[in-house]
Amino acid sequence: MNSNIWLITFADAISIATPLILASLGAMLTERSGVINLGVEGYLLMGAVTAFQLGMGFGNVWLSVFAPILVGVVMALVHGALVISLRANQIVSGLAMVIFGTGLSQFLGKSVEGERRPVSIEPIDFGRLSDIPFIGPVIFGHDPLTYFTWALTIVASLYLNRTRPGLVLRATGDAPATVDAQGVSVTAVRYIHTVVGGALMAFAGSWFMLARGTAWSQESTTNGIGWIALALVVFAAWRPLRAILGAVLFGFTLQVPFTLQAQQINVVAPEMVKMLPYLATLFVLVALSTPRARRLLGAPKMLGIPFVRDER
Amino acid sequence: MIVGGYRIELEPRLKSPRWLVYVVPVVSLLFAFVVAGIFLLGTGHNPFTTYGKLIDKGYTSYYGITDTLGLATPLICTGLAAAFAFRMNLFNIGEEGQMYLGMIGAAWAGIVLADNLPGVAAVPVVMLSGAAFGALWVLVPAVLRARLGPSETVSSLLLNYVALNLVNFLIFGSRTLWRDPSPFPDGQLVADSARLDRFGTTNVYPTLLIAAILAVFLWLFMRFSNYGYETSVFADSPNTARYAGMSASRLTVSVLLSSGALAGLAGSMYVVGPAGKVDPGLLQVGLGYAGIVVAALARYNFVAVILTAVLFAGLRVGGAALQISSDPVPIAIATVIQGAVLLFALGGEMFRKNRLRVRRIAGSPVRGAA
Repeated sequence: MNSNIWLITFADAISIATPLILASLGAMLTERSGVINLGVEGYLLMGAVTAFQLGMGFGNVWLSVFAPILVGVVMALVHGALVISLRANQIVSGLAMVIFGTGLSQFLGKSVEGERRPVSIEPIDFGRLSDIPFIGPVIFGHDPLTYFTWALTIVASLYLNRTRPGLVLRATGDAPATVDAQGVSVTAVRYIHTVVGGALMAFAGSWFMLARGTAWSQESTTNGIGWIALALVVFAAWRPLRAILGAVLFGFTLQVPFTLQAQQINVVAPEMVKMLPYLATLFVLVALSTPRARRLLGAPKMLGIPFVRDER
Repeated sequence: MIVGGYRIELEPRLKSPRWLVYVVPVVSLLFAFVVAGIFLLGTGHNPFTTYGKLIDKGYTSYYGITDTLGLATPLICTGLAAAFAFRMNLFNIGEEGQMYLGMIGAAWAGIVLADNLPGVAAVPVVMLSGAAFGALWVLVPAVLRARLGPSETVSSLLLNYVALNLVNFLIFGSRTLWRDPSPFPDGQLVADSARLDRFGTTNVYPTLLIAAILAVFLWLFMRFSNYGYETSVFADSPNTARYAGMSASRLTVSVLLSSGALAGLAGSMYVVGPAGKVDPGLLQVGLGYAGIVVAALARYNFVAVILTAVLFAGLRVGGAALQISSDPVPIAIATVIQGAVLLFALGGEMFRKNRLRVRRIAGSPVRGAA
């Protein structure tokens, strides 16, 4: 088989890893503060449809890149109000946001179903650098958002492990009572990181429309990538840099069906190949469920548990 | 939270008034219609005429009523499936996929087994086969949950996408016994003995009665049986359950498998009733996801699920009619309402359990006094 095809698949995997990294970074920051946000799929879809519709209306690529962030902020504020202030069930709230976001994105996108994307983000032209064997297509030739995402991951890792607010964030997920005793507001830390997390998730959604999808289609825009991003958080053990590795791995499984289809390789039915990313993700979760792996994971200890100060 | 010398807090109610149990779902529904109305208005549809048409097509016209009751039948089952798991804080959100597997399992029994069975046994065997397939589909997430802790949400949901592709594979991608031999991709019909007749000229099948009886049975069973008691103890306090010698993993796995079986039953009711085959049309309806909303609005009460399922089935039937009306509104508006209902019901439930308490902080100046 032509090795060049697999090199391109790998390069594409790095490309589709971008929204996976962004979305799982968002979920990671949220979960590090002790809040679960299962709504990723809804945020992605709302981000995508916002980017597309604004592109249709205004034709300005930067508006389409950044406006979805606001949508993510609003959605995350609703989630925060429900689960942080009202202490509602975090799983159900996240799920409600998936259903709401899926419905609303289909509703708002109906009028442009099948239309070609009005604006796009093109890969950066690195000139001669792209001709270097292997490294050229894998490292160079991606869109600016991909490089921005890599930088953001490094920043997030430094923030989490090397700064005082990062320490407070980690402490909030593990021992909120201690943080509270230090005079830091647990509520504020949780709101801030839930909102930033939601913004990143919706931002990831805009990437779908601007760099990948050629047309808006309510069926096939995200295809459950939000749920894969959530599994990726576990795979990465809540550590940003590890998310890159996992995202490329999952990105590869997402890309293989397209490669096989494009090459007209029909050894396995396309419907079966399309199961691959979900089965691979599930397999990883199973592999992580062994007692030894669980010890290494280190999930935030108070994940999903509302904080109530015991003052009397 | 402190605002200008006042402390605003959520305080658990010792006793929540009975009427709030009914008011919260009704108000959630109204608020959801308002939110969806804003988006209708924003896209140039008159919310009042749109809702008027929706209610007429979904609840009051003859075909509306029978279509709604017909669609409510599998929806009651997926609603029961979600309620069964959620009330034990096990968040099985893979009802959609488990329902597809139920459809596949029921069709298999209807094609392979039904002809060799005495007439009366065919339908029960087909239905149970669907339930078994649904339960098997949740086996991996159930074991994962028992071993890894909270993970059943993501794992059960990932399997929805696998199940979706599996249905497509059986109908479009292969020539298995589920597919009709004709060139046009369609499901193979099950034996006649494996199907039930509809009531008269309606779209309602006897399965509606089965679903309703099942809901009442589950309500009684979980209220009065030992098993029901154990699950409620486990839901309230896993530690208490463990001290009392109940097996956490046995309860977790059995509840999730039962939930999967109920979702699978939804798929088999679709086969026994209107479809008679593996029908990719089911993939478009989203009854599994809707079941979660149905269960939440019913506050995970099995009998109330019957009512909320009929309500949401009507929303879907009415929404489908809107899509093809003279002023077409995307059917996704039904999903928007569902999501909004869930959000409001969730917030409202917390106001039922808690009350807002505004207190002046001691020592802070009283406003107006010098």
